[in-house]
Amino acid sequence: MNYIASLLVLAITTALINNMVFHFFVGNCPFIGVSRKVDMAFGMGAAVTFVTTIAAVLSWITTYYIMSPGAPLATWIYRALTHDPSKVSDLSILSYIVYIFLIAWAVQLVEMYIRKFFPALYKAFGVFLPLITTNCVILFVCLEIMKHIGQGASDPWGLDKALVYAFFAGAGFLIAIVIMAGIREELDHCDVPKSLRGPGITLIVAGILSLAFMGLTGVDSNLAKMINRKPPPVEETAQAVTAATTAMK
Amino acid sequence: MELVLMILAGGTMLVLAVIAGQSLGWANKVFHVEIDPRIEAINAALPGANCGGCGCVGCMSYAEAVAAGTIAPDKCTVGGTSCAEAIAKIMGVTLKPSWPYRPVVHCRAHYNERLGRADYRGEKSCTAANIMGGVQLCTYGCLGFGDCVAACDFDAIHVVDGLATVDYDKCVGCGACAKVCPRNIITMTPFKSQRIIAVGCSNQDMGKDVKAVCKIGCVGCMACSKASPLFKMTEGKIPRINYDEYDPENMDSALVAVKKCPVKNLIYVGKPSPQDVAEVKDKDLPKIVQVDFKTTIDKTTWQG
Repeated sequence: MNYIASLLVLAITTALINNMVFHFFVGNCPFIGVSRKVDMAFGMGAAVTFVTTIAAVLSWITTYYIMSPGAPLATWIYRALTHDPSKVSDLSILSYIVYIFLIAWAVQLVEMYIRKFFPALYKAFGVFLPLITTNCVILFVCLEIMKHIGQGASDPWGLDKALVYAFFAGAGFLIAIVIMAGIREELDHCDVPKSLRGPGITLIVAGILSLAFMGLTGVDSNLAKMINRKPPPVEETAQAVTAATTAMK
Repeated sequence: MELVLMILAGGTMLVLAVIAGQSLGWANKVFHVEIDPRIEAINAALPGANCGGCGCVGCMSYAEAVAAGTIAPDKCTVGGTSCAEAIAKIMGVTLKPSWPYRPVVHCRAHYNERLGRADYRGEKSCTAANIMGGVQLCTYGCLGFGDCVAACDFDAIHVVDGLATVDYDKCVGCGACAKVCPRNIITMTPFKSQRIIAVGCSNQDMGKDVKAVCKIGCVGCMACSKASPLFKMTEGKIPRINYDEYDPENMDSALVAVKKCPVKNLIYVGKPSPQDVAEVKDKDLPKIVQVDFKTTIDKTTWQG
């Protein structure tokens, strides 16, 4: 499979098929909490996409150079300290705390930057920007990227793939929350039974949406097959044609 | 060897912490935004609970609103008077005197005064009983199932012989009971003194109908409103006290009204005055009997 095609398949898989909300059930808190209006939902989704991408880059760098089993920087220091060139360091136990730390740091920095240079955007994001610190989509993306780094990873990812994965994970969250907000805006005009109003009917709608997204399963493998399909070799075709014609005779 | 790995892990965290701390400190300086120093001062004076009790999203947005002059400086319920004073000082304004708001139950009928109490076997909550209808004949009065008791976080309201009764020693005036009451007979009232006069009935019907449902309900005779300008009759034939003009120092006409009320509907609520305590000191007061819901009450079996 060529490079662009593999990235394309990864992007579609992440955004639509293995959607963060509908497939992995992460990020449900903002998904329910901020999906009342479409514009607010779009703001939240955009902020999550933005922070996820930044956090994924940071976590890829730290994981690749320091935390993964056999990471170059950590292993070099480990060997230098123990004077044993056969040692391999493994600091992956630190992953959770370091990722949370990096996410919080990135959110703080982004908040300050936006506040200084884009006051209107800062006003629009309002309270959501600090809330993203505890959004589990971001931590999930970081941990998912960690699985694909280091020795022993079956499908090692470079920074490019991590970046695509993170961006489209955020985009998938954005798609999910905007669809949800659109439905909920219409839901306001519906005659919902009193006992189901509010979060109850929202969760039911989320479940139905999740079922709908299950219909996309298989698109990725078929897409990969389509891209991968090689034209059959010429000799084989010729032989097949002769065989077919002899059979017809 | 394990020790080296531990040092390596600790060192990683330490290096990351130093880098992050330095960069955030640098960013704080570089990306510093000039804001009104009063906003920061007010934010520092606030308790920082971010509870939303003032009606703003958080303490910071409340501080911004106060500095902008769109909201009063005494809206912080957590900070209380000292916080309001601090904010008023920052803003250079003086606070109006504000009275403590406490709940008043506008009903005073106990089980033996209510008529037509039915055998209700549903869920033991006022909301459910109120939807049912017909639990008791009076459709305005206290139902006595204690939704307010459940709502109170401070153990300050209890159902005593079928009537919600506020313990003003414990009450902090959060208003949870007034919000939860399905019949809206609890109102938050400014207590300008330890004891105030309140109307002890909510029934808006005419005299004959009231007499049919309650032994002590307000019959709407308007004697109080004739005696004192403090009492105003509403359209529903029930007097309301204008607490804005309520003056605990000047109660002559109000006391006349209290005496004139034929059903003794104007009652004192709040903490008892020292004289009252001295009066009943020697008397043998009847004990308050806890209601046993399994026994018979007002001649109907009660199985909650």
